[in-house]
Amino acid sequence: MGGELDQKERLSQYPLTARQRGFEWDFTKGCESYEVWDEIEIGRSAVAQNTFEVQVEDILDFNRSCLETDPVFLDETNPRPHPLFVVMVTFYCIGTGIGSWIRTPGARNPGQTIEFVEDFVPGEVITATITHNDKWIRRGSYYMEDLVELRNQDDVLKARWYVRLLLPPTRADVIRFAEL
Amino acid sequence: MTTTEHIDFADLQIGYQFPVVEETVTQPVIDEAALAHLDFNPVHTNIRWSQRAQVFGTPKTVAHGMYTISQMTSVVLRHWLHANARITKLDIKLTKPVPVGSVVRAYADIRELHPRGPGQDLVTVGVRAVDQDDATVGIGDITVQIAK
Repeated sequence: MGGELDQKERLSQYPLTARQRGFEWDFTKGCESYEVWDEIEIGRSAVAQNTFEVQVEDILDFNRSCLETDPVFLDETNPRPHPLFVVMVTFYCIGTGIGSWIRTPGARNPGQTIEFVEDFVPGEVITATITHNDKWIRRGSYYMEDLVELRNQDDVLKARWYVRLLLPPTRADVIRFAEL
Repeated sequence: MTTTEHIDFADLQIGYQFPVVEETVTQPVIDEAALAHLDFNPVHTNIRWSQRAQVFGTPKTVAHGMYTISQMTSVVLRHWLHANARITKLDIKLTKPVPVGSVVRAYADIRELHPRGPGQDLVTVGVRAVDQDDATVGIGDITVQIAK
């Protein structure tokens, strides 16, 4: 699983938030334990591994990554979150638990459907409920889809994301990609 | 980028075109997206792995699909940022990978008007992103709710 050093050294040069410093940057590590397409049970649902406490620095960092420059997005005390902030929340919540297939080396993104119900607010604690919604084969590719529902500490629905990827279908395929 | 401060739903017209967003996808752009998305799939950030794996048939790293979608979203978001408009849904297909070094241009225009009543009116905006060869890399719809 070599080759990760160029990535780690390069990414370390950016200003990092506490959340980024505490997150595993090498998705090939531990991939033998990720969920894989041919073993996933459709209909299974569970609360994700981690909760996400929304921090101002998370929103600012995400907005900058989208190349937003309007002061509304860069307000140091009350930035408006870009709608796609759901991506950071979801990857953090899923971690290596249910839904871990989204970390799969060799996966491809065919497109996404996301419903935005309410903006995220600093201080909210977000919980993700993951449901394995569907999987299918089309033109020789293996599609996986989860429904991710993000709610705050008061059980208010914030967003609903139908996460889709094309995956290597078996554990052996995943490991083969990771070991390249 | 010009922005709109107030939208009167009755004034909106099918075919209205939003200002285009254009960005060059460099490795730092991809790296910062990886850190912000917490998506460290090696196809985005591991240059040597990408050369070996060629997941998309290219030895180059590729941009996150969610980065491309964020740029397609930003076309609408930036233009109506200060207006009485809120993005409520996106449904976007990605049709071609975006290797490092690509130039992505995102376009948007109003496709549908849904007069549901004051504060509940919806607009469907068609969005499309193309690369430097004018090949489509993403296409779909963004739904926007227009407040009073």
